[in-house]
Amino acid sequence: MIHFENVSKRFPGGHYGVSNITLQIESGALAFITGHSGAGKSTLLRLIALLERPTRGQLLIDGRNIGRLQKNEIAAHRRKIGLIFQDHRLLSDRSVFDNVALPLHVRGFPVREVGKRVRASLDKVGLLKKEKVLPITLSGGEQQRVGIARAIVSRPPILLADEPTGNLDPELSREIMKLFIAFNQLGITTLIASHDLELIKKLDRPVINLQQGELT
Amino acid sequence: MRVTPASRLSIWLDQHWRSAYSSYLEMRRRPLATMMTLLVIGITLALPASLLSLLKISQSVTGEQQQSASISLFLKNGIVNEKALRVAADLERRPQIDHVELLTSADAMDEFRSHSGFGDALDALDDNPLPNVLLIHLLPDNSSMDIKKLASELKQETVTDSIEYDQGWIERMQAITQAIRRAVQALGFGLGLAVMLIIGNTIRLEIMNRREEIEVTRLVGGSDDFIRRPFLYIGLIYGLLGALIAWLLVSILLMLVSGPLGRLAELYDSTISLSAFSWQALLLLIPIGISFGLAGAWLAVSRHLSSINPE
Repeated sequence: MIHFENVSKRFPGGHYGVSNITLQIESGALAFITGHSGAGKSTLLRLIALLERPTRGQLLIDGRNIGRLQKNEIAAHRRKIGLIFQDHRLLSDRSVFDNVALPLHVRGFPVREVGKRVRASLDKVGLLKKEKVLPITLSGGEQQRVGIARAIVSRPPILLADEPTGNLDPELSREIMKLFIAFNQLGITTLIASHDLELIKKLDRPVINLQQGELT
Repeated sequence: MRVTPASRLSIWLDQHWRSAYSSYLEMRRRPLATMMTLLVIGITLALPASLLSLLKISQSVTGEQQQSASISLFLKNGIVNEKALRVAADLERRPQIDHVELLTSADAMDEFRSHSGFGDALDALDDNPLPNVLLIHLLPDNSSMDIKKLASELKQETVTDSIEYDQGWIERMQAITQAIRRAVQALGFGLGLAVMLIIGNTIRLEIMNRREEIEVTRLVGGSDDFIRRPFLYIGLIYGLLGALIAWLLVSILLMLVSGPLGRLAELYDSTISLSAFSWQALLLLIPIGISFGLAGAWLAVSRHLSSINPE
């Protein structure tokens, strides 16, 4: 499903984000990406979401070379992907409901369908009762769960999480990871960048380890 | 989810309605700033609009005068009534002329006697000194050039002693109106451009304020169309409401000047229909306001949206 073929990302100034990566991730898999900060974990995920374009090599998703996509095709590509960030990236002036509903609005879902899906999604992350509040009033773990609800609400085939447990204590981190495993069991291809090696070891899933932008 | 054409239309309407409504809410969040921007747009649009409606009034006055334009042709002495009637019939065949009236010297004398108060003095005269006069009524669609040409042709006629027509002030008035119209049109164009830039700048600020929202929308797969739409609606709403304000301002102005202008019109034996709160003016102003609003929004959106990409 996701196929890196000698992919490099060289930033202006000569620094490499990732270098000569060849990697195949099957549909429905769950894998962790580990490595020190600056090893290229984020760049790998950002390439898949087309937040960066590869400077060399081929990045195929569902058989399409996404490095060649036109600017006006990027939005459609991103609709296949749920993105989760360490800093949540929630809109502070919108309620939890409206934050989670945004991916459905950009896809033109009818209103009734939006309500149903948003509530189902909030229910899965255990925040059904918080739909009306502003994200700022929630704890860090809850905000991250809102971010996850937003990522899965449109049922995308791919889920990418960049340090989703970075700011959370071990107990919360484990709960978040359990959520990802549950979604993966529904068939969503999931990639999680994390440096929480201890937690990852316990979960016993494939690990992609990066060092200075290269696979090890 | 099955997508029939009907449901696609309803989704499309729903998305547009949502964009328009969110734009309205966004504008309401800063009522003072929004109100001030609207007033600036309204006043800017009202300026050329009110000048144009005043011009239209002055044009309707001169137009009326033009319609009643006539030429008095004084016949040479010794042209008797039968000959005068033949001349009149000849003249009526000319394309510029509606009809010709013969005012015989006897008629003229009677009229003069009853109006002037010199009745007794006139009795002292041996014979009637007044000439036969042809009152030539012109068709309304003659230009002042046509009338001038006709007048000079009539002057050449052998039967003509002299002619008289009071066309001068109408011509001058028309020339002045023409000049003012040009100036107002140029001014209107400039002020329209100003409205566009005001709205463009307002929307630029709006885009900057909503930078985070735009970035997140891009992250979750929002297309350029989707991101653009609420900003275009803001431009549209500003243009629409600005046009409404301009219409109110023009109408108030017209109400204020209607009294003095009415008296002026009476002096010229004419009536002025002042159209304060006229629907036609509104129907003209609204599309103009909307197009300037949309153009300004488009300008801002195409310049600034593409520069905002998620980190």
